Amino acid sequence: MEVLKEKVEEEEEAEREEAAVRAERGEKVVRPMEVRREEAPMTQEMLRDLERKLSDTEMAIPEKLSTFTKDTIAISKLPLSYQSNTLKEEHLLQVADSFSRQYSHLCPDRVPLFLHPLNECEVPKFVSTTIRPTLMPYPELYNWDSCAQFVSDFLSMVPLPDPLKPPSHLYSPTTVLKYQEGNCFDFSTLLCSMLLGAGYDAYCVNGYGSQDMCQMDLTRDVCPLTVKHQEVVQEEEKVPPKKYAVKPPRDLTSRFQQEQETKKQEEIKAEEERRLREEEERLLDVEKAKTDPLHGLRVHSWVLVLSGKREVPESFFIDPFTAHSYSTQDDHFLGIESLWNHKNYWVNMQDCWNCCKDLVFDLGDPVRWEYLLLGTEKSHLSLTEEEEDGLNDDDDVENLGKEDEDKSFDMPPSWVEQIEISPEAFETRCPNGKKVIQYKRAKLEKWAPYLNSNGLVCRLTTYEDLECTKTLEIKEWFQNREDMLELKHIDKSTGLNVDYFKPGHPQALRVHSYKSMQPETDRIMEFYDRARVDGLVKREETSKTMTEYYRGRSDFLFYRHVSFGDRVKKLSLNSAESNPRPIVKITERFARNPEQPADEDVAERVFLISEERIQLRYHCRDDHITASKREFLRRSEVDNKGNKIVMTPDMCISFEVEPMEHTKKLLCQYEAMMKLKNEEKLSRHQAWESELEVLEILKLREEEEEEHRLTISIYDTKRNEKSKEYREAMERVMHEEHLRQVEAPLDYLAPFLAQLPPSEKMTRWQAMRVKDECLSDFKQRLIDKANLIQARFEKETQELQKKQQWYQENQVTLTVEDEDLYLSYCSQAMFRIRILEQRLNRHKELAPLKYLALEEKLYKDPRLVEFMKVFV
Amino acid sequence: MNWLYDSVEPRVMDEDMLKLAVGEQGPRDEAGQLARQEGIVFKDVLSLRLDFQNILRIDSLWQFENLRKLQLDNNIIEKIEGLERLVHLVWLDLSFNNIEAIEGLDTLVNLEDLSLFNNRISKIDSLDALVKLQVLSLGNNEISHMMNIIYLRRFKDLRTLSLSGNPIAEEEDYKMFICAYLPDLVYLDFRRIDDHMKELAEIKHQYGIDELKQRENLSQAQLDDERAQREELEEHKAAFVERLNGSFLFDSMYAEDVEGNKLAHLPGVSELLQAYKDKFVIICLNIFEYGLKQQEMRKVELDTFNECVQEAIQENREQGKRRIAKFEEAHLLSLNAIRDESEVTNLEMKVAEHSKDITELFDMLMTLEMQLVEQLEETINTFERNIMDLVALFIENVQSLMAQCRDLENHHHEKLLEISINTLEKILKGELDENLPYDVRALFVDKDTIVNAVGTSHDLHLLKIDNREDELVTRTNSWCSHLVDAIHKDEIMRNRRRVKEIHQYVDHVQNELDNLECSEIID
Repeated sequence: MEVLKEKVEEEEEAEREEAAVRAERGEKVVRPMEVRREEAPMTQEMLRDLERKLSDTEMAIPEKLSTFTKDTIAISKLPLSYQSNTLKEEHLLQVADSFSRQYSHLCPDRVPLFLHPLNECEVPKFVSTTIRPTLMPYPELYNWDSCAQFVSDFLSMVPLPDPLKPPSHLYSPTTVLKYQEGNCFDFSTLLCSMLLGAGYDAYCVNGYGSQDMCQMDLTRDVCPLTVKHQEVVQEEEKVPPKKYAVKPPRDLTSRFQQEQETKKQEEIKAEEERRLREEEERLLDVEKAKTDPLHGLRVHSWVLVLSGKREVPESFFIDPFTAHSYSTQDDHFLGIESLWNHKNYWVNMQDCWNCCKDLVFDLGDPVRWEYLLLGTEKSHLSLTEEEEDGLNDDDDVENLGKEDEDKSFDMPPSWVEQIEISPEAFETRCPNGKKVIQYKRAKLEKWAPYLNSNGLVCRLTTYEDLECTKTLEIKEWFQNREDMLELKHIDKSTGLNVDYFKPGHPQALRVHSYKSMQPETDRIMEFYDRARVDGLVKREETSKTMTEYYRGRSDFLFYRHVSFGDRVKKLSLNSAESNPRPIVKITERFARNPEQPADEDVAERVFLISEERIQLRYHCRDDHITASKREFLRRSEVDNKGNKIVMTPDMCISFEVEPMEHTKKLLCQYEAMMKLKNEEKLSRHQAWESELEVLEILKLREEEEEEHRLTISIYDTKRNEKSKEYREAMERVMHEEHLRQVEAPLDYLAPFLAQLPPSEKMTRWQAMRVKDECLSDFKQRLIDKANLIQARFEKETQELQKKQQWYQENQVTLTVEDEDLYLSYCSQAMFRIRILEQRLNRHKELAPLKYLALEEKLYKDPRLVEFMKVFV
Repeated sequence: MNWLYDSVEPRVMDEDMLKLAVGEQGPRDEAGQLARQEGIVFKDVLSLRLDFQNILRIDSLWQFENLRKLQLDNNIIEKIEGLERLVHLVWLDLSFNNIEAIEGLDTLVNLEDLSLFNNRISKIDSLDALVKLQVLSLGNNEISHMMNIIYLRRFKDLRTLSLSGNPIAEEEDYKMFICAYLPDLVYLDFRRIDDHMKELAEIKHQYGIDELKQRENLSQAQLDDERAQREELEEHKAAFVERLNGSFLFDSMYAEDVEGNKLAHLPGVSELLQAYKDKFVIICLNIFEYGLKQQEMRKVELDTFNECVQEAIQENREQGKRRIAKFEEAHLLSLNAIRDESEVTNLEMKVAEHSKDITELFDMLMTLEMQLVEQLEETINTFERNIMDLVALFIENVQSLMAQCRDLENHHHEKLLEISINTLEKILKGELDENLPYDVRALFVDKDTIVNAVGTSHDLHLLKIDNREDELVTRTNSWCSHLVDAIHKDEIMRNRRRVKEIHQYVDHVQNELDNLECSEIID
């Protein structure tokens, strides 16, 4: 390879000299590609190669061509750089041609390089200059994954006209963005531009991909959204046994039996595994499609991101169609011809027999990667040094020096206009705001926000079978819903619906899973407990029970379970509201209240309402294993004969952990019982209220589902009517202000021009007169002003003199006050005189300058200039 | 003063009077009926009202241990007494009495509201124990000196104060003074103090307050210092090396040593003494530091041990709790099943089955407990060995250091003797040119006297060193044995409690079953 390199260098040298000479002559060098190719020496090998390629081409069925053809693009509106080449670009094309010639000479069995396809104006452009590194103004597009996702969403994919050859045209990213369509090369050029702008070490790759990848066929891929994140089980750190840790009790079970047991278990497991594996294999066979006859020949383009910059730990590929990242060892990538960024072009000299698995991406290695431009050859190596030094400028200077020494050629700047994405387009993302992707057993649909009236932005449908006929589950994502609904998950197999809400639902709802919206059926509601006064976290309902979980309550309640009995038949209408179900049992559990002794702190309280019993279980003391219990019986105050029942000791059965410590006075128990009766009432009321709340929430949900109103942020000036009005009003005011300012500058010629007869053309004489008049008028003005100041000055001085005289005469008879007055007048008058004097001097100084300035202005005045020129 | 005072006989606070009052103020209706049935124990009473009873002397209140609120207003009490046992008292009303001095309140640390309205008190005093005091009513008394207000500064929670009707309330500066010196006060004489008033008062009395604050801060700092010193000493004592971090032991050796002090006047002795002292103090410091280090080690050892034991106990307890919870579920179910069962044979079978379950539970719990006992015993023995070893090592090392002290002393003694004899010879020869004090010269009569004097001093020093060593060793040993004893005792107590608890629980469960059976059979 060394030899080739040297040769290339020599040729380049020669080429460059030639180009320089030509440039001096000022010759216009626009030669179409074909001409140059004809000039290239046709070797035997090349012919054979061409032949083979042609036969290949015939095999491929030409698919539908890109829908936006040349005539749909308004070429004339494109900037100049699109329509022609600069000298430097011409030079580059020559270099590239010579490189390509040598390449085909030295590697005759390889396909010609993809170097300078035509752009939308049919002008050959070098691929590196088509990349325009741009940092997008959206913070969302700062990272590679979101960038790739944006590109894949924003553009719709057009297959290559010939799947076995690189395209003949490569449009600028701006055009691609405008029409939202492109082939894989357009995709990767755009993505590469964005990634380079964001600071990644990214490259466009021309290579070979699998059929699925080239045709953006994801039907054999598992949808990334369906893959469940495997929770990383954190290994608990084993605490080293402490010095005095007790020894575990001796294990008395038979080890032999254990072994037998595990053996049996293992056998069963192995059997199951085998079965599973067979099943999988069978499925795989079904899934495996017919092998691709063109495997390894399909041209594809993708993006390579090298490690080093932006904290990328390892080099990886990005498929611009799907925005998936792959390791460089992935099976989908079958080979690389060349790669380029905005600075240079490298040809892969490594063998790709084993896909891309053995490739080494050290672009500084000239044996593995043949570079096109010498100057940036060491860019890869020098970059690392640069980072170590941490000083960009110095190194750049050094590099420049080196380049000069090598007399190398620098990559010309990109001919592409700056890439711009309007906020509207950024928000809409997909073409027409909608995109459908078919995955293996799944379908993903995407919409732009506010496109659907119910706020739907994404729907994922998973299917049971490969043909996508039997729906398994549907997941729908929403945005900007007023009811804060975020995700709706419908499981078709079980009929279970789960709604997920963001914080902010009026009832603080977080998750609602249900099978039907009918009350008193199985459902689970989870809440944002911090937003609720009662600290409710979760409420589970079945047809007969309701369980509520609380958190952070001041009464330490954390669990309440209510069992309902059958509804008593009533003649009146049987709605849940008017006729609540009878409560059979209420169980409440409390956390430990640290302020109370454990024996008096109730842990669990059960109201057996039908049996008229109350059971209390207290908390366990710190050093005990049993807890006190108490049970109250027959609490009705009046027995069936109407007599008042007096509390007797057998109405309260209790088990005390420390029987000696407590006075078991009947009075205390009576009081406790009375208190509990009240509490029972409260608990029943609570249960009833909870039921009501469920009904209310269900009603609210139904209303919300019907209305599905969307919220509009006040910062969203386009959609928010109010802010739009306000903004428009502001703009109007600004506009008026601006108009007024525009009117302001005075036209010093206007009065003189107005004197002229309204003929169509001014004569030179007239112009001269206008000028002279204007100047003399100005002079008069200046003189008048000077006179005015002079007059004032004199007047002031006279007055002061008079006053002084008067003072001299009456000095003896003056009172102290008068004298003070006089003195203050004097100082003020002196001040005024001084100021006038200064103004006069200043005016004298400035007047000639002002005069000259006006004269100059008049000379340059567009209405007079043509007359003046001749005159001068 | 009071018309009642003249017309009605003073009454004695006796059992009957208290019972009557309690009965009247006790629970009503059904609860009252129950209460009467059972009788009320004075200990359970939380609030008691004894107003307008013409009581002269507070008495017989010692039974009301849990009393929170006591009203003794409108009596003719002359002296506050008999309230010492009512430590839970929060509210005490002694208004409209004839009390002359505040006293007898030193045990009522929980008191928040104290009313002494309309008495004859002239000085605010003896309230130091009432740290939680919030409301103090001292109106209509005979307080005449403003300085009484400053006494109230120590009550940080005091918010309400009434002093109207006192001679000081007549003074011009009364309100300002109180507002300035009691800045946390919110209500004075039943009126809210407004912020404007507060500011004014503060400006007016700024100098006085600043001075007072300065004094208070100083005394506070002094107190803090003292406390810190005390704490440090306690810490050193716990390490058994208190007062060894300096020349304290050396100084104490010479404190009672008359001869030694006399001999210090000899030429050359003072230098010798200085060198001796330096060396001695260094050894003392060594002992001190070593002692602290050892104390730290012992502490770490003890902490680890306690932690491990607690962990083991906790784990065992959790296991026991789980078992019981599991059993309880089954127990409830089977009790219900037994209750519902009508067939006699089935019933018997079920009862038998359940009693078997109970026995099983008992066995299980006892096994758990025995297992824990065994585990703990082993651990405790290991700890005991280790701590003993540590203590023995400590004592041994300290003893060797003390021996160095003794060597130093012996060495010093020899040197001193030599100098003394030399001096004696010089004196006998009349060569001594220095003037020695008379009492020193008196020692140099003959050789025996001087040798005896030096010997006495030496013996005294050795005695002091021995005493210190003995003290250290005894205390260390006794600490060690106490610790080990306490650990053993605690473990035994724990075991007994747990066994008792298990028995009790199992008995209770068994009882439940038996009761059920009985009722079934009766049915």
